[in-house]
Parts: sequence; C-alpha cells; structure tokens
Amino acid sequence: MSDRKHIAAGLALAALAFSQGALAAGELVGVSWSNFQEERWKRDQLAIQQALRAAGARYISADAQGSNEKQLADVEALITKGATVLIILAQDANAVLPAVNRAKEAGIPVLAYDRLIEDAGVLYLTFDNVEVGRMQARAVQAVKPRGNYVFIKGSPTDPNANFLAGGQREVLKPAIDKGDIRIVGEQYTEGWSPEVAQKNMEQILTRNNNKVDAVVASNDGTAGGVVAALRAQNMVGVPVSGQDGDIAALNRVAKGEQTVTVWKDARELGKAAGAFAAQLAKGKKPADIPGARTWNAGPHKLAISSVFLKPVAITRDNLKLVIDAGWATKEQVCYGVPAATAPPACK
Amino acid sequence: MTPLVETRNLTKHFGGIHAVERVSCTLHAGEVVGLLGHNGAGKSTFIKVLSGVYPADEGEILVKGEPREFDSPAEAREAGIETIYQSLALAENLDAPANLFLGRELLTPWRTLDSDRMEHEAAKVISRINPNFTDIGKPVRDMSGGQRQTVAIARALYFNARILIMDEPCAALGPGETRMVQDTIRRLKDEGIGIFLISHDMADVFEVCDRVTVMKNGAVVDTVNVADVTEEDVLAMIILGEKRGGRA
Amino acid sequence: MRHWLEKAGFDPRFTSLVLALALIWAALALATDGLFLTPRNLYNLSIQTCVTAIMACGMVYLIVARQIDLSVGSQIAFTGMVIAFVQVTWLGPQAPFAWLLSIALGLAAGMALGAFQGFWTAYRGLPAFLVTLAGFLMFRGAAFLVADGQTLAPLADAYQRIGGGVHGSLGPTGSWVLGGIACAWIVAQALYARRSRKRYDAAMAPAWADALKALVTCAAVLAFVAVMCAYPDPGSGTGKGIGFPVLILAAVAIVLAVVATRTRFGRHVFAYGGNPEAAFLSGLRTRRVVMSLFILMGALSALAAVITTSRLNSGTHSIGQMAELYVIAATVIGGTSFAGGIGTIPGAIVGALLIQTLDNGMVLMDVSSAKRQIFIGLILIAAVWLDTFYNRRLAR
Repeated sequence: MSDRKHIAAGLALAALAFSQGALAAGELVGVSWSNFQEERWKRDQLAIQQALRAAGARYISADAQGSNEKQLADVEALITKGATVLIILAQDANAVLPAVNRAKEAGIPVLAYDRLIEDAGVLYLTFDNVEVGRMQARAVQAVKPRGNYVFIKGSPTDPNANFLAGGQREVLKPAIDKGDIRIVGEQYTEGWSPEVAQKNMEQILTRNNNKVDAVVASNDGTAGGVVAALRAQNMVGVPVSGQDGDIAALNRVAKGEQTVTVWKDARELGKAAGAFAAQLAKGKKPADIPGARTWNAGPHKLAISSVFLKPVAITRDNLKLVIDAGWATKEQVCYGVPAATAPPACK
Repeated sequence: MTPLVETRNLTKHFGGIHAVERVSCTLHAGEVVGLLGHNGAGKSTFIKVLSGVYPADEGEILVKGEPREFDSPAEAREAGIETIYQSLALAENLDAPANLFLGRELLTPWRTLDSDRMEHEAAKVISRINPNFTDIGKPVRDMSGGQRQTVAIARALYFNARILIMDEPCAALGPGETRMVQDTIRRLKDEGIGIFLISHDMADVFEVCDRVTVMKNGAVVDTVNVADVTEEDVLAMIILGEKRGGRA
Repeated sequence: MRHWLEKAGFDPRFTSLVLALALIWAALALATDGLFLTPRNLYNLSIQTCVTAIMACGMVYLIVARQIDLSVGSQIAFTGMVIAFVQVTWLGPQAPFAWLLSIALGLAAGMALGAFQGFWTAYRGLPAFLVTLAGFLMFRGAAFLVADGQTLAPLADAYQRIGGGVHGSLGPTGSWVLGGIACAWIVAQALYARRSRKRYDAAMAPAWADALKALVTCAAVLAFVAVMCAYPDPGSGTGKGIGFPVLILAAVAIVLAVVATRTRFGRHVFAYGGNPEAAFLSGLRTRRVVMSLFILMGALSALAAVITTSRLNSGTHSIGQMAELYVIAATVIGGTSFAGGIGTIPGAIVGALLIQTLDNGMVLMDVSSAKRQIFIGLILIAAVWLDTFYNRRLAR
C-alpha cells in the first residue's frame, strides 16, 4: 500500500478504537424540555440526572422555550449529538409528532415525560393526571359536598388540562346529577397564568353575586389567582384545590386559604424517567418496562405503553409529608400561620 | 469692509471622498452670493459645515472677522447663521409657531410652553414676509410649498440671523410663490442680511444674486460678479470647471 | 359635524373613540342584564384596566417618537420578581417599610432595563424593534433567575392595599374631595386658557364651547366618583371610592399628558417623531430624548408590576405575558400612529379601557376563552375601521 493509504488505514483504526471507547462510557440520554422556565422542572432535571448517573448514562438537554418549532429543532440537534434515547416533555402533543418521527427514523426510542405524546411506539411516563383531577375534586367535595362550584381550568392548549378536568368531573358527576352541586362558572386559563385566573374569577364572582361555595382550580398558580380574587371580596376560606406542591401553595394550605395541593413528587418522576431511559437505550421495548401497561384513553385512542405514578393529595392534615420528604422546610410551609389555627405540621 | 462670513481653505473629507476641498469664499452684508455646481459638487456639504452639522477637517471660518468653530447646529445659530435646508427641516405634524420656535421655545414663568405668545410672535414675523398667510395654526403638512418656505424664512428672521443660507428655496414652488420668495430675498438684502443661495435655476440666480461662486468636485472653480458674465459663461464654468475666458 | 366638534374644542378622533366605547358598554349591558354596569363590575373594570393603561401612556411617547418597545411584558415580570424578592426573601414581609424599599428598587430596576435598551437604540443606532425583541427574551429569562422559577409569596400586608382589593381604595370622603379638586382644576384651567389667549387678542373658541367642554369633563369625573363610591368595600362596608391603582394611573396620566402638550420636552418628542432630521438640525438633543423615553417606559412597567404583584399577592415570573400586545394595541386604537408624531395620552387610556371592557364583559357573559379571543380580535378591527372611516369621511 502507498503511504497515503497507510495513514488512512491507521486513522480509520484509531477512529474505530476511539468510538468503541466512547460507547463503553455509557448511553447518551437526550432530554427535550418544552419550557424549562416553569417552576417545577428543575427538580425533575436533578432527579433525572441523578438516576442517569446511577445507571451509568450521560445527560444532554435542550430547552424549547415554549416553541413547537424550536422543540423540533432541539430533537434533531440531540439526535445529531448522538443521543441513543430521548426523553421528551412535549410543548404540544400533536405538534411534537414530527420530532418523534425523526427519532423513530433514527431508531431512537422515545420516552414521553409527564405530557402525552400520542404515538404507539413511545413509553408514556406520567403521574396519573386524571387521578390528580379526581383527588382535587374529592378533597374539595369533602369540605363542601353541596353548593355552587366554579371550575378554573388549565391552559386550553395543554392536554393535561383536559385530563384534570375529566377526573374532576368524574368524581363530582353523581352530585351534579343529583343537584347537590351546581356549576356556576367554568373557564380555561390561557398559559396557566395566575393573572388571567384572577381576572376570570373576579368576573365569575360578580356574575354570581359572590354566591360561590367552592372552586376547583387545576394548579397552584391559578389557585393563587383565585385566592387573590376571593381575598378582594373577603371570601378567603372558600375551598380551593391546586396541584404541584408550590411552596406558596403549601403555605396557603397551612393557613387554610387553600384546601389541597396534589403533590406529584417530581423527583420520583425524574428518577423513573432516568432509569427507564437507560433501559430503553440498551434495547428494552416499552411494553417490557416494569410497571408498564397498555393505555388507550388519549384523544386519538391509540394504544400506548404507559407507566402511571401515584400522586399524593396534601391537605392541612398531612403537610408533614412534604416536610419530611425534604420538598419544603417547616419555615417555608408554616410562615405566618397563626398559632391558634395551626395545622398539626406547624405546631 | 469686513465680510460677514469668510471661509479660508475650508476642507471636509468623508473617508476617501473629498467633499469640500480648500474652499475659500466671502459673503458681505447686503449681498446675495449664489453657490452653483453639479450634484455632488460639494455645495450641500459646504453649507452643512458652515451651519455646524459637520466639523471642518481643515481651514477656517470667520464670522465678522473672528474665527469660529461650530460643534453643533446650535452653535452656528448662536453666531447668527441660519440655514433653510432644501427639505426645509420642518416637522410636518407641528404648526408654524411650533416649528418656528423649535429648540428655542418661549416658556411661561411655570416653565410650560407659552403657546399663545409664540403664536402671537410668529404671526408678527410671518405677516412681514407674507401678509396673506394668516392661518398659521394648522399643521405644516396642510400647508402649500410657499407657506412652508415662509415658515422656514420666518424662523431665520425671528432670531435675527445676519447670515442666511438658502438651499434651493424655489425648487418646489410655482411662479407666483417663486416671485414672492425673490421679493423677500431682496427685502432681506436691503436690511443688510447676507445670503448664500444654492440654486439650479439660472434665471433665478441671475435675478437675485450679486455674485456667484461655482464649485466642481469639491473645489471652487471661480467667483465672479453676476453683472460681468452671461448665463453661458456660468454654465461653462459649471460643466467644464474652467474659469471664464479659458483655462485658469 | 367635525367642524362643530373642533370649534367646541373636542378632538373628533377622541370623541368617536368614546362613542364606540359607549356603544360597546350599552351592548354589554344589554347582554348581561345590566350586570356589566353595576358599580362592582365597573370598579373591577377600572382596576383591571390600570396595568395596561399605565404602560400605554409610556408607549404613546415611544411610538410618537418612531420607536417601539416589545419587551414591556418581560419588564413587568423582572421588576415584579425584584419587588417580591426584596419583600419575601431579602427583608421579609414583616420588616417595616420593606414594601416601600421594594417599590423603589423595582422602579430602579425598571429604569435600568429601559436605560439598557435606550443605550443600544439611541446611542448605537440599532433598530428599537430588534433591541426590544432581545429585551423581551432576556428580561423574561432574568425574571426566572431571580427566584429560580419559584413563586414568591406572601407579600407585605401594607403592600397588598395598593392593588385595589380590600381596603385598597380611597374611600368616599377622599374620593369626593379629589373629585371636587379635579373639577375645580378643570374650570380653573379653562379660565386661565381663555385669559391667556385674550392677552394676545388671539382667536378662541366661543365661550359656550369652552364651558360645555369643562362641564362635560367635570360631569364625567363626578359620575366616575359616584359610581366608585356606590360599591361597598367587602372589608369595611363603606363605599370603596377610587381604587389606589386608578389613583396611580390618574397621576401618571396627568403628568404625562401635561408633559406631552405643555412642556419643551414633550414638544421635542413630537418634533422628533414628525421629522427626526428637522429635530436634529434644530439643535434638539435627539439621542437624549430617545433614551429618556425608554427609561420612562421601564419605570412605568415597574409601576404596572407593583399593581400586578399587589393584586396577586405574589411574585411569579410568568406575569405580564402578552402585555406588550395589549399595550401597543391600546395605544394604536387610541390614535397613536406608527408613522410617528401623532398620539395622545387620553386616547391610549380609552384604548386600554376598550380592550379591557371586551375581556371583562365577555367573561361576565360566560363566553369561552377561544371564542373570546376571536370576538375581541374582530371587534378591535371594527373599532379601528369605524374610527378611520368616520374621520376620513368628515375630512372631506
């Protein structure tokens, strides 16, 4: 062989050896966040990274900043960078499908994180959002079994909002049919924005001349807006539900301003996602992931392998759970709570 | 008699372009000096240097015999030089008094705009120039070309300019309004004001100017008395860039 | 008709805008069985309008000067988080006057954001559109970083009153006194203006026209006070009177309107917008003018953030979403032209009121969010079209 061919062969051998070495270092897991700026995702990220480290895999990520187009570009970039499995928190369940197809073309398994992606090949990992809705409704109904109810729903473009609303309605249906519960107001909240929730609640209160007995709000941000509207009418104490376990919401629960916040320990979700992603990367099929079952209750009724984690309803009686789990400190939860009406966790 | 304005070897470059190259000329009280030349001959840049928009790179400007340097249009105005640009530099959305006093507004004791006084003073000046122009409270965009020109001239007069620079004052005007502007120029001459006049219209030039300075490629070709030359001579100077009577 | 209006001293454009608003109010009153026009709802409407209206006052100046600011929503988020941070994390809500300091720092933060944008636009000549688009992204990111995305709550007790909720208004006595002072000032203004014109023998509107104008304005002010006082405060039981956010808006609007129409600075802003070259050649310090406008906008965004966070009793980094669209829409509906040089403060406020009216009324009618968005968009187009059409017809 000529000198040049010698060098080429040598380089090729070196490249092969090098890439073998890279493979030996562990799988590369790519995470596509829809909008990292929302409050909770930092905890998810931490948990995913820890789980990946334990499984011997590496982590790269991208933030779509709320844009469908950017998420598509992000997924392509993650694939280019060599990710062998993708965890996708979809900005929009339908708009993300082209990105999922890209991954499929490249033979890369996809884990749909927290938000639904309706594709038969993904592993859908989430807290049972319908169950979250059921828990919200149950907690409020326990305090106020009869009366005028208001539904402050989530963002109209987020399928989770409808899962929650569905669960809420399911629990309250018997009472609604019987006439014990009347729905006097129902509005979506664009962007889950607390300001919008506050304005809508103000108008609903006006329309009903304050004759509102309970508010089923779908997350803590909107619950904050609802409570602010109630406060302006001197109606704090009306049962209000929420979700996410925001520190501010936990404080409201301790003070009696909010009835329940359904806590999804994001760390559990992240841990599971990290572990499952590592397994998927090694070639396991979604249906074979421990705990997965076939679920087809999505809008398009596709059968998808899914793992549902159980959320926890945090009321004033079990605030200690979040404190013990290290999710929030006692000072944070109990700030400003008067001793006379303090919940058990704050005594 | 000391000239009102004298420039000596005034030079202004923009990178490699010699926009104004060693231009020396004078302007005396009560005379109109025309500035002539092709587009790009350097006339506009020259007057912008004189009115403080651009600082000169080299050369001197003397006002009434005293050397002056202008770092801004405001400083040139302080020296008594008022410029009426071809675009007139009027704000279309404001009315005549507002434009007249722009940058030099009259204030009440409470430091608010004294609109009534400004309107009164503006009316006085404008009636001196054009007694028929009475509706001065409408925005400039609703005014005719001649009325706008009147406002621009009034601005110069009110602040007692002794040196006026006019860039193509009659370019956008009809014959009647052109005559009005020419009459105004003559009246200003009589009051002892010196005027630099840029114009393309040869008839206009020969009508009002006493002398003309011809420029080409940034430099002065020659300065001649209007009485001593014909229009063809001046045209030749502009086009060929040669002094009258053959090469310099 | 236009001539008659102008002779009476009424700006025809503004009048047609107010008429459009009145029509919409009438329609909404019908559709809600009068609920829309109850004192309670009108009080809420007045509070809900303040945030957009305050920022629209600043946007008028910017658009008049041929600039724009696409980042005002993000400015609200960042300054709001600064305010909440000072109160909750740094000093603690119980610290005396923590809330005052937080407002001061919030204003400073807003002005700093404005100065940043103003520097690149005025002194480095970058287009305002691009600079503020960058600001739109950056300031929202910065807002997230203040508390790592967390919601900061609750805020100081005294601070909560600023938002117009319980105990958040002036009360009947204060409101009527203020209304009385306002009327006295309106009449004094009219008299002074006439006297000033008489001094110069200038042409002026007939006395009956000036009297009518003053009368109508006073009546509007007093009617407003009466309606506000007719709504009992849920906390105290006595009439609420003018909400504090509305007082803030009134102060901002009056100051900025006076500056726009009666001061040198205002004149220079309009001149620059009308013809930037003319302004420069007239010796105006154009760069300084543009810079101050961005700083002003930053301060107003901070004020808007004060009201928003006070109402919500928390600082979240997601507030102010879409605010820039509504603020610009309010300004343009109110008569400010993108071509520059034309715009009024009262117009922008009525524009903000118009947009907020639609939202308020539709939720009152229980219209879903998707349908609301479609309707509001259509009605906005109709309002602007009617207004342009009307003015073009009268101009003939």
